[in-house]
Amino acid sequence: MKLHWFTKQLPYIALFLLVATFQAKAGNVVHTISALNIKADAEFVEGDADKTAVLILHGFLTTNRFHTVLAMAQALQSEGYTTLTPTLTLNIPQRQNPLKCNSIHTHTLERDVIEMTEWIQYLHDKGYQKIVLLGHSSGSQELIELLNNHHDLGIKAAIFTSLFYLTGEEVGIQPNEVHFAQQALKEHRNQLYNYSFLFCKGNYYATPKSFLSYLKLNRPYILDSLKNLTIPSYTIMGELDKRYQTVGNDWLNALDKTGTHLTTIGGANHFFSSEHEFDLHDVLIQIMQNL
Amino acid sequence: MALGTKNFLIQPLKVYFLSFLFTGLVLLLFLNWSLYNEGQKIQQTVHKQAQVEAKKEMTAIFKKTLSELRHSLKALSEWDEVHQQLEDSSYYFYWHDDRLKESQYFNKHYDQVEIYNRQKTLLAPSSLEKISHKTLPLTIRSLTPTIVLTKNRETHLNLFEPIYSRSTEQILGYIGVSLDLLPYLQDENTFYHVDKRTLSFSGKGDIPLSQIMEQVRYQPIANPVTDYLWQLIQKFILQLIILLLVTSILLSMIFNKLFYHPLEIISQYLNRLKINPKEPQQLPQKTFYLREFQELQASIHNYHRDLQVTQQALDNQNQTVWDQARRDVLTNIYNRRAFDEAWNELLMNLPHDKVSTGFMLFDCDFFKALNDTYGHEIGDKVIRTCALTIQQALPMDCPPYRIGGDEFAVILQNKNIEQIIAVAEKCLHALRNYNFSSIGIKEKLSFSVGISYVSPGESTDFTNDIASLPRQADIAMYKAKQSHQDKVQCYHHQLESQAHALVSNETVNTVVNAIHTGENIEMHFQPIQSIKTGAVYFESLIRIQNNNKLIYPNDIFAVVQRRRLEVELDTQVIQAILRMVIAGKLPKETGVAINISGKTLLQPGFTSLFADFIPYLKSFKVVIEVTENILIDHMEYAQTVLNELRQQGFLIALDDFGSGYSSIRYLAHMPVDIIKFDMSMTHALKADHKTKNIIKSTAEMVLRSGYDLVMEGIEDQEMYDNAQEAGATHLQGYLLGKPNITPTLPKHG
Repeated sequence: MKLHWFTKQLPYIALFLLVATFQAKAGNVVHTISALNIKADAEFVEGDADKTAVLILHGFLTTNRFHTVLAMAQALQSEGYTTLTPTLTLNIPQRQNPLKCNSIHTHTLERDVIEMTEWIQYLHDKGYQKIVLLGHSSGSQELIELLNNHHDLGIKAAIFTSLFYLTGEEVGIQPNEVHFAQQALKEHRNQLYNYSFLFCKGNYYATPKSFLSYLKLNRPYILDSLKNLTIPSYTIMGELDKRYQTVGNDWLNALDKTGTHLTTIGGANHFFSSEHEFDLHDVLIQIMQNL
Repeated sequence: MALGTKNFLIQPLKVYFLSFLFTGLVLLLFLNWSLYNEGQKIQQTVHKQAQVEAKKEMTAIFKKTLSELRHSLKALSEWDEVHQQLEDSSYYFYWHDDRLKESQYFNKHYDQVEIYNRQKTLLAPSSLEKISHKTLPLTIRSLTPTIVLTKNRETHLNLFEPIYSRSTEQILGYIGVSLDLLPYLQDENTFYHVDKRTLSFSGKGDIPLSQIMEQVRYQPIANPVTDYLWQLIQKFILQLIILLLVTSILLSMIFNKLFYHPLEIISQYLNRLKINPKEPQQLPQKTFYLREFQELQASIHNYHRDLQVTQQALDNQNQTVWDQARRDVLTNIYNRRAFDEAWNELLMNLPHDKVSTGFMLFDCDFFKALNDTYGHEIGDKVIRTCALTIQQALPMDCPPYRIGGDEFAVILQNKNIEQIIAVAEKCLHALRNYNFSSIGIKEKLSFSVGISYVSPGESTDFTNDIASLPRQADIAMYKAKQSHQDKVQCYHHQLESQAHALVSNETVNTVVNAIHTGENIEMHFQPIQSIKTGAVYFESLIRIQNNNKLIYPNDIFAVVQRRRLEVELDTQVIQAILRMVIAGKLPKETGVAINISGKTLLQPGFTSLFADFIPYLKSFKVVIEVTENILIDHMEYAQTVLNELRQQGFLIALDDFGSGYSSIRYLAHMPVDIIKFDMSMTHALKADHKTKNIIKSTAEMVLRSGYDLVMEGIEDQEMYDNAQEAGATHLQGYLLGKPNITPTLPKHG
């Protein structure tokens, strides 16, 4: 009788032990970005020791609690991968929430790269030698910039989801604003100004330096950088991402031509919402398993 | 006391109505006042409770406000962008002036939000030129929530919250908020007990939030239910008061119209009837709305009309009775009662009506003898004829009164003495000329008229003189009776002097005094002896001592008769004899005879005068002597009274038999035991043979009738013998004994 009851409860016990183990190794990590002297938060979940660690970077102005990021992390964690999902400080110590368009933006792409560099170092310090970078949206572009500038970080592979580019009139950048910012920067006038940038239409309140730093990630730069990557790269795109309307329907072809392993998830949007989240996870797990 | 209370309670209807109305009004007003008072108390209680609830609510709201603000401030302190400013305040003013106000963390009631560094100094004053208008300090002195009351009556709540490092408990800085408290409270809270429009703060300067309740001013929300209820109560009370007043006025009017006015009219009508009961009063021409009043008025009117008819009938009957009571049945002229009333009225009117007055008395001479001779029937005719004749001869305004058997009185006013005498002469002339033979009278009748008169101008004491007129007329008539020629006599003082002439003034005074006081009366006793047994009793004879001289009966009776003092004299004599009997001053086995006047016999208490003699009658003989005139004039009454005395043991003697006009036919019915022949009859025994025989026959008749016969005036033996021969049973005279103060038994015998 007792044996029967134990047999019946075994799956639950196993799940409890798994969750307990997972819970024990999961936690918020505060890490001081030494180069910037600013504290940054990250979610670090330790997986199997023999499995690759995945550093997941959120999209523009969001945090590591953004649902696509959380979902991807959990999917990887469920497969025993160690995940580290930092939140870029954007010059705010231990930033907790997404920034608004009209928040003061003084952060720069360079500082973001520095922060990512130190988080990779954090993983190394934790003993992880095989690290896969996983980015979502502009996080993917920032990882490309990271990989452009740092080839010695011991990154095993890079996975980009919803990868586009930031600059160009087709994506809403106003040339006059760019000119204005460039002029201001030249004249060392670092006052804040409302720009049009990505989804912030005319209300992206930023310093010229901050605004201009991200304009580096234009279409050719991304495609070239992607083409020139020294590590395997995988790109997962949603079939129905609305940004194709701005970057053009040939974007997928352009990506495909860079040599990245392009996967298009049918019906998925920019955030792989609803059931496409699982498609994304399946693709991710498959990529990770094939590495 | 009870009568006083009852009298007090007797008030007009209007007084009672107004009292009830006033009392009712006072009670209802008192009820109103009580209701109003209770309503006020409820209102005050509700108000107090509202104050308590308002205070509780305000306290809770301040507590909630503080909690909410702390919560908001906590969230603000944890906002990334606050941390961003602490990290790099280069764009603090942009963040402060723009970004902050667009964020979800900003409340429109925040007057000022500032970030302070960990040294509690303002991170970067955003608008230095406006710092004077800000309420947050440049440096935080205390983290205690503070109320800042400004001069322009703005109230700010300054709150500070530490900003902690996210990974440690280290304080990085402070966030400070200055809140425009009043609009915040009004906008962010729902008030149930406080009227938020009345919220205000008093005082100035900085005070801790904990003392806010001392500075806040507010009014509780007016409770619409109680306020409405109170309004209803006030309205109700006002309406009730108006209703009461209107009802009172209406009631007064209705009462006045329905009750008081009819009663007043009926009362006035009754008053008119009361004042003029014999006059017909017109029925008030008013219509009353109450049928009962209408009927009452008609009933009173009808009742009064019937009453008047009845009254008239009664008056007529009364007049008849009054007339009958004052009319002499025999003559149909006014009687003694009418005379007394007329005379009393005259006396009563004297003080106001002083006029010359005459008094006239008519008397038929020897009427009693006439009556005895011709009988009552003829006597009555004589009286009727006299009354009619006198009445016809008198003036119309001078009615005659029959005041005695054959005595008529006439009162004449506003006439002088000559006129009065002329009237008297006229009447006398008429009487003399009347043919009395037509009614069977064969001899000529004579009449006497006495007149007295007094005039205000001739009298010093008019009232007293008027009162003396009857007596004076009587004296004058007495004088007229004594005269054969001057049958009309006027009283004058000389007549009284003539009466007094027989006796001196001193004697008169002594007699009158003796009669009134009983002093100086001295009783003398003359023996009367039975021929058969020799038994003796004494006739009492009055004497009055006057300075060692005796006043004898002739003088005494002259005064008594003139002054009509017969009753008083008899009373004194009876008392004097009684005292002697009681004192044993009369010999034993004797008796005493007492003379009584006619006036005394007719007194109502006559028999009681002798009551004290009754115990002595067994051993003592008491004889009451009366004159025949009295017995004949008042036979019936005299029989009753004298028989009563006879039954008690007294003996009655008829005195002076034969001296008057006595009729032999009365002899058998005399209520007497003894007949006393007048002295003239005793003396007549010495006269001619024929007279002697008549007396003897008379004596024999007396004896045969069963009476004892006393012959008085026996002065010698011859008279003694004659009397004995004539049949006398008792003899009295000087032969047997003179009157003596000491009763002495006769020596003759």
